[in-house]
This record gives sequence, structure tokens and C-alpha cells, in this order.
Amino acid sequence: MDFWLSYATLAAIYVLLGLSTNLLVGIAGIFSVSQAAVFGVGAYIVSYLLMNDLTTFLPAMLVAAAFCVVLNVLVTLPALRVSGDYFVVTSFGIQLLATAIFTNWTAGTGGANGLPGIPPADLFGKTLDTSTDLVMLSVGAMVLGCIAFWLIMRAPFGRLLRAIREDELAVAAAGKNVLRAKVSAAALAGAFAGSAGGLYATFLSFIDPSSFDLDASILLLTMVVVGGARTLAGSIIGPFLLLALPQVLSLIDIPTTIAAAARQLIYGVLLIAFMLFRPQGLAGEKL
Amino acid sequence: MLALQLLFNGLATGCALGVVAVTFSLVYSTTKLFHVAHAGVYTLGGYLAWSLSIHGAPFVVAFLVAIVVCAGVGALIQALLYARLEHRHATHLVILIASLGTLAVMQNIIAAVYSPNILQFSLPWASTVVAGGGSIRLTVIQVLIVVASVAAYGGLMWFAHRTILGKQMRAVASNPFLAEITRLRPRRVHVYVMAIASAVVSVPGVLVPVDLGLQPYNGVTPLLTATIAMIAGGVGSITGAFVLAIAIAELQNLSLLIIPGEWSIGITFFIFLVFMLFRPTGLFAAAR
Repeated sequence: MDFWLSYATLAAIYVLLGLSTNLLVGIAGIFSVSQAAVFGVGAYIVSYLLMNDLTTFLPAMLVAAAFCVVLNVLVTLPALRVSGDYFVVTSFGIQLLATAIFTNWTAGTGGANGLPGIPPADLFGKTLDTSTDLVMLSVGAMVLGCIAFWLIMRAPFGRLLRAIREDELAVAAAGKNVLRAKVSAAALAGAFAGSAGGLYATFLSFIDPSSFDLDASILLLTMVVVGGARTLAGSIIGPFLLLALPQVLSLIDIPTTIAAAARQLIYGVLLIAFMLFRPQGLAGEKL
Repeated sequence: MLALQLLFNGLATGCALGVVAVTFSLVYSTTKLFHVAHAGVYTLGGYLAWSLSIHGAPFVVAFLVAIVVCAGVGALIQALLYARLEHRHATHLVILIASLGTLAVMQNIIAAVYSPNILQFSLPWASTVVAGGGSIRLTVIQVLIVVASVAAYGGLMWFAHRTILGKQMRAVASNPFLAEITRLRPRRVHVYVMAIASAVVSVPGVLVPVDLGLQPYNGVTPLLTATIAMIAGGVGSITGAFVLAIAIAELQNLSLLIIPGEWSIGITFFIFLVFMLFRPTGLFAAAR
């Protein structure tokens, strides 16, 4: 029972990340391998605020989300101003830089050993520490995230983003500010990833750099690619399926030394196979 | 004295990075693809040479086999993956994701076969000191890296400007449509370009690990630095990419005097930011 609860909690958190990645990669069409870095920044900020008793859970989440919005705007703005390919470089750079900071800034992040003993989340004075509480919290956050995503995609702003994917030049010619729309999408993606980070840190009560490295970013991209780009359903299916994969793999007898590599290998194969044979994913639209 | 040593080290790493940058730039300007999996080919070369040399093959043989196999792998990636996707009018984003997938596959096959730990070549001649006294050391392999890299760069320049295939390559790069109607068959040229770029990138791919050791995930940082060198040098300029790669590596190495080594990625990225904000077309772009 506990296993299913923790699976559901984690999957709900990854749905938020899936929404974030989908906004950036699927909808705005920006190739990004730095989603896990933003996720990590959110996680470390919430941990720092809670461990030093500076704020309660909700304000900490707000600070993390706001910080990640600013971070994503600062990161995307200069690169997208020039060209999409420059953002590929920026994105790899941010991811590697973030890993370097998470690993080497021992005073702030605990370094490679990670941060143990992050206090549990609390809401309106009540501490949420049973697994039922946690699953309620993260599923609640997931539902909020999904509603927000759905509303945004129905709003004029969502239609503008869709239009940009269809024909960027036509949108620009119609007098819309394409760069601003893309950067706003990235900012929203930052808010989603930052809050997911906060939930992740309080749920596990321990974080270390390995959850936020390049491989984690590739996992997030795989979730969106498998689930399907640009749809709500795709962002939900992908995380639930791919988080089940390690469990399936543990049934097969793979030596533990190569288990991590085997998992990443499967993500890579999935990326290639879906791009070749089903670029819209299981429940998405054309990528 | 330390500064001089760092300058030497920077020259060796810079030349190796220069070759990565030049080959990446060759692929990028001809096929217009951001070939992320280039990092995988780079890593693969080193591991192939390591396996062969650990099983008793002479280093020269191992080196040559690695180059040939990498050329084949590069051609296969183009023919089986990129060409198919292009044929279906896949978007740029789709091809990028497929390329990232290829990188993940290559790195993790290597990690599963050879373990993710650092492997060292056992070649005693490589670390023999050629020149230097006191605290300065210049090893055989460092000299070899510089010589081979400059030769690779020179060879590519000669190839691009003096041979028929090289001229076809540049024609396809500058206008694929016009190349197509003059029967240059851009698709075939793309396969050649990928084969050549992959063969040449395995030169530093083999030689650098002889000096510094092998790790399956070690290709990404050199590739990132190389792409930054390409952009800073001006996309399309082979010389620009090579020169800027050396300059970045020198800056990185000299920065070790004041900043610990684990932050060198920050230095690289800072250089990229400066270029992106103030000269996004790169230093050598005026030639185009």
C-alpha cells in the first residue's frame, strides 16, 4: 500500500514537471535539457527556507516558484533573441553549471552528499507527514497545475502559443511579439518546475545533485515525448508510465552496477523510436 | 612557472577542443543540424582504442580502427536517422530530440559495457616528459595532441578548399536547393560530411583520454565548449572555431590560478554569455 502511495505522490510531482517541460518543449517549441536544473533550484530553495525555519511551506513554495520564473526568463531571453540553436547551448550550459553548483557549493547545497532532514510540508498550521497527507498534497498540486495548464491553453495566450508553433513568421507579421510569448511560456514552465521541486524536497526529506542532473532532464524530455507533446493527457500519461519503468526493470535480473545505465539507455531508445515512428507520442499532437 | 605550465596544458586541450569545434561546425554548417550525438562519437572513439590496446593491439592500429569505426557510425547516424527524419519533413526540434536520444544510447551502452568508472590507457611512452625542467612538464602525448590536432585542422581546410568533394560540401552548405538542381545530391554529401567529421573527431577522442583517462559521460562538456567556440568564432568559419577553442581553453586553464577547477564550466559559460549579449555573430563572421 505504501508503495502505491509513494508511487502516486512521485508521479503527481512529475506530472507538474511534465506540464512544465511540455510548455517549454512541446508548446513553445524550445529544445531544453535544463528542466531538471530548474527543478533542483526549486527543491534547494524550499529546503533552505524550511530547514532554517525562515518561512512556512506555502511562502517557501511561492519564493521558489518566483525565483524559478526569474531564472527561466534570464536564461531564455538572451539566447532566444538570437536563435533557437543558441538556446540548445544555453540549456546544456545551465544544466552542467547547475550540477557543478549543486555538487560543489557545499555550504549551500550540502554538496555531493546532499541535504538530509528536510522538514515535512505544512498547510495552515497542520504538518503533513503521513503518506496519505503527502499523496493528497501532491495530487492536489497536480490537479491545480492541470487546471492552470488547461485554462492557459484555452486563453488568448494559449492560442497565441499554438499559432507560433504553426507559423512563427505569420504570427510576427500579425503584429504579435513572438519573443515575449516564448519567454512567458518559459517563465510559466519555471513556476511549474520550481513548485515541483519544493514538493519533491519535502516529500523525500532528502535531496542530492543526482536527482537534478542531465540524465534527469533527459528523463523529463522522455516523459513528454512518450506521453505526447502539447496536450494535458500527454503530460499525465508520460510521468505515470516512465516512473513505473524502474519497477518493471527490477523484475528483470540486471546487475545493479549497470541498472542506471540500462534505464538511461531505454530512455534514449524511446526518444529515438518515438521521433522516428510516433513523434506525437501516445496522446499528443504533432511535435 | 605555474602559469607557463597552465599555458602548455591549455594549448593541448585547446587544440583537441578545436578539432571537436571544427568538425561540429562542419556538420552544422552543411546539414544545419545541431548534432548533439557528436559527443557520443567522440567518446566512442576513445573506448574503442582503449579496448583494442588493452587486448594487445599496437596503439597505431587501435587508433586507426577507432577512426574508421567512428566514420562508419557517423555515416550510419546520418543515413539511418537524420536522413529519414528529414525525408519526413520532421521539425528541427524532432531531429534534435532524436540526436539527444542517440547520445543517451551511445553513452549508456558504453557505460553498461565498460562500467561508468574512469579507465586509463597503459601506455608508458605517452607520459614521458619531452621537454621542461623544474616544475614544467610537457609530455609526449600532449605534443602529439597538438601536432595531430593542427594536422587535422590543416587537413580539413585543405580538403574543404582543394578537393572536389570538399567543394561540393561547401556548395551544399551555402545553398542546398541550388546544389540539388545541379545534381550534387545533398543527401549523399551529408553522409560523407558526417563520416568525415566523425572520423576526424575521433582523433582527439582517442588522444585526449590517453592523457586524461576515459569516462562514458565525459563527451558532453567538450562538446558544449566546442559549440561555444564555434558560435564565438562565427558559425561557418572553420578557422574561427579552431582559434576560439584554443582561446577558451587557455582562459579556462589560466583561470585555475584564481578559481578552483570544478568551476571551469562557469568560465566557459560566462564567455558564451558575453558573446551572446555583445557579439552574437561571432568574431570571424565578417568573412561570410
